[in-house]
Amino acid sequence: MTTSSPSLSRRTFLMTSAAGLAGATALSQSTRALAAEPIHYATWSAAVDHVKSHIAAFEAKTGIKVEYSNTPWAQFRETMVTKFVGNAPIDALWVSDSWLPEWADAGWLAPIDQYETLTAYNADVDEFCLQSMTYKGKLYGLTYYTDYMGFIYNAEILKKAGISTPPASWQEVTDQAKIIKDKGLSRYPMLVPMAQETWLIEFISAMVFSNGGRFTDDNDNAIMHDPSIGAVTTLRWLVDAVHKHKILSPSCVETGELAGMKSFSSGQHAFGLMPKYRLRTLNDPQQSQIAGHATLALMPKGDKGSHATVGWVRFYGMTPRAQANSTRLADTLKLIEWFGGKADGEYKFQKLMFKELGGGFGVKSLFQDPEMHTAYADYGDIDLIDKQRSLTRKKDVVTPWFGEWNDVNGSAWQQAILARVTPERALTASAAKWSALKKRA
Amino acid sequence: MNATASRVDGPLRTNRSYDERTAFIFLAPLAAVLLAVAAFPILYSFYISLYNLKLTRPQRAPFVWFDNYVAVLSDPQFWEAVERTVAFSVMGVVAIAIIALLVALLLNEEFPGRRVLSAVLLIPWAIPYVANALMWKSIYDSNYGALNGALYQLDFINNYMVWLGDSRKTLALIANAFVWKEVPLAAILLLVGLKTIPADLYAAAKVDGANMIQRFFHITLPGLKGSFALVMIYETMMAIRHFDLFFVLTEGGPGDASHVVAWRIYVETFRNLSFGIGAAMSYILALATLALSYLVIRALAQRI
Repeated sequence: MTTSSPSLSRRTFLMTSAAGLAGATALSQSTRALAAEPIHYATWSAAVDHVKSHIAAFEAKTGIKVEYSNTPWAQFRETMVTKFVGNAPIDALWVSDSWLPEWADAGWLAPIDQYETLTAYNADVDEFCLQSMTYKGKLYGLTYYTDYMGFIYNAEILKKAGISTPPASWQEVTDQAKIIKDKGLSRYPMLVPMAQETWLIEFISAMVFSNGGRFTDDNDNAIMHDPSIGAVTTLRWLVDAVHKHKILSPSCVETGELAGMKSFSSGQHAFGLMPKYRLRTLNDPQQSQIAGHATLALMPKGDKGSHATVGWVRFYGMTPRAQANSTRLADTLKLIEWFGGKADGEYKFQKLMFKELGGGFGVKSLFQDPEMHTAYADYGDIDLIDKQRSLTRKKDVVTPWFGEWNDVNGSAWQQAILARVTPERALTASAAKWSALKKRA
Repeated sequence: MNATASRVDGPLRTNRSYDERTAFIFLAPLAAVLLAVAAFPILYSFYISLYNLKLTRPQRAPFVWFDNYVAVLSDPQFWEAVERTVAFSVMGVVAIAIIALLVALLLNEEFPGRRVLSAVLLIPWAIPYVANALMWKSIYDSNYGALNGALYQLDFINNYMVWLGDSRKTLALIANAFVWKEVPLAAILLLVGLKTIPADLYAAAKVDGANMIQRFFHITLPGLKGSFALVMIYETMMAIRHFDLFFVLTEGGPGDASHVVAWRIYVETFRNLSFGIGAAMSYILALATLALSYLVIRALAQRI
C-alpha cells in the first residue's frame, strides 16, 4: 500500500512564503498606523508622580498615548534648547516666562491664539499671567504654576519688640528693624537672599516695583540707572541696610532662596522677602521653628511707590511640531487643556498641585473655591493673599537677551552691596550691558 | 655573506610586517574610538570657534574666521578672569607643593601608625570634587558653618564672619578647598620620588658631617626634581582649568570675585549658549595651558 503525501514544489514554497511575508508586513504596517503616535510631553522634574497619575487618567479617558520625559530644572533650558536644535520630538512642554521671547523668536514655540478650547480660559486667568505668557502680541500657553514675591514677617519677634503692626513702607522696615536689632531680638532682622541664582531678579524686581521703579521702559530701553524712575533707590536701600544700618547681613550675597527660607524658618529674622508659597513651609511645625508666626504683609512701598510686587509664571506651551499634523495637534490641545484647563469639568490638576505641594495657581475662580479657601486658611489670610495677587506685575526685563543680561546685572548688584562700586555705577554698568545686548539683537 | 643575510632577513621582515599588520588590526578599533571621542570633538570645537554660533539662533551662524578669538582677547573681563585664574593657580600650586612635600617627608619616616596615617591622608583624594565642594560650602557658611563655629568657640572671633560672601577672601578660600583635595596625590608622587633616592647618599653625607638641613637641600631636594616637575605640571593644569569648586561654592560670585576663565567658558557656552565664543575661549585656555606646561617641563628638564 502506498500513500501519497502532498507534494510541495520549491516554487510553490517560495511563492507562499513571499505572500505570507508580504501579508505580515502589510498587517504590521496597518497596525502601526492604527496605533497613533504618542504625544511627546517634556517637563522639568517637579511633581513627577502627580504628573504621571494625571497623564494616566488622561490616557484612560482619551486613549491618547503620552510619552512623558522630565529633566532637572537646573538643566531644563539647556536641555530643551539642545533638543529643539536637534529636532527631537516634543509636542507639549513646560515653559518659564523668562525663556518665552528666546524660544518664540527661535521658532520653537507655537502661539495658541487660534485655539478656542484653550483661549476660553483667558477670562479666568490673572492678568499678569496672561501678560507673562504673551510675546509680540501672541499668547503662548496656559498657566501651570504661578506665584509672586511676598513680604513675610515673624509676628512673634514683632510682638516681643512691642511693634503692633508690620511695616507698610521701606522706611518703616528700616525703623522697625533697628528697634528689633537694638533690643537684641535679631542680629540681622531683614532677609533678602541676593545670591547669583535664578531667583535674584525676582527679589530685586519686587523691591524695585514697590519703590515705583522699573528696569526698562515700554520700548525695552534701559532705565534702571535713572535716579528718578529706575532701580537706584532700591539698590541704595539695600546698601544702606548692609553697611549703614546693619540690619541686613553682608552674607546676603551668598544666600540663595532656599538657604534664606531655612534661615528665616529658624527664627533668625523678623522680615524677609520670599516666594509667597513658602508660607506653607514656614508655618509647618514639622519644617519650621516659627510655625504659626510667619505672616504675609503687603509689600512695603517706597516714597514714590505702591504695594506692587513681581510675579512669575510657568506654563504649558506647544511646539510647531504639534501643529504639523491635525491628529497630533488635536491630541496636544487636549493634553494641554487636561493639565492647564479643566479636566472632567474642574481645575483638577491645579487643585491637586496646591493641596499636595502648595503650588500657586493663576486661576481667579479658584480663589472663590471653598475647598481652596479652607486649604489656604491653614497658613495665611486668603484675602490679603488675594489682594497682593491683584497688585502683582510681570517682570519687565524678559527679552531674548534676558539671560545674558541677568548674569551681569546680578553681579553688578552684588558688587554694589559689597561696596566695591556705588549703586549708581553698578546700575549704569547694568544699563550699558542691556543697551549693548539690545543693539546686538 | 650577503646571501646569508638575505636568507635571514627575508623571513624576519615577513614576520615583522605580519606582526605589524596584526597589531594594526587589533589597535584599529581603539584608534577609531579615540578618533571619534577625542580627536573629532577637538577638531570640531575648533571648527565651531570660527563661527558666530549661538544655539538660540542656529539658523544664523556666519563664518567669522578668528573674530571670536579677537572678541575674547579684547574683552577686559576676560583678562580680569585670567588674572584671577593666575592668582588662584599660584596660591593653590605653591601651597600644594609645600604641604605635599612636608607630608611626604613625614610619611617617609618610620613611626608607629604610619600606615594608618597614610590611609587617612588619602581620604580627601578619594572624595569626588562635587562632594568636596559641598562639604566646604557648609564649612564656610556664614550662618551655620563649622569654620565660624570653631573660631567662635576658640574665642578668635566675637561675631560670625562672612567668608565666601567677602570678595577679598573668596579666591583664597576656594584655593584652600582645592589644596585640601589635591595634597594627597601630590604627596604620594613626592613620596615615590623620595623612595628612589639611594640611602647610601645620606649615609655618605652623614660620614662627611652634613647636618639634616644640608642633607635636605643637597640630597633630598635635588633627588625630587623629577617628581616635583610632575606635581607642578599636573597641579598647574588642574588649577588653571578648575571649575567644580567655583560652580558649587560661589557660582562665580560674589559680584565677579571668582570669575575665572573656566567659569567664563561655562557661562558663555552653557548659559549664554554662545558656542562660538565658548569654543574660542576654550582653545585659548588649552593653548595657554599647553604652553605653560611646555615651559615648566623645559625649565625643569634642564636642571634634572
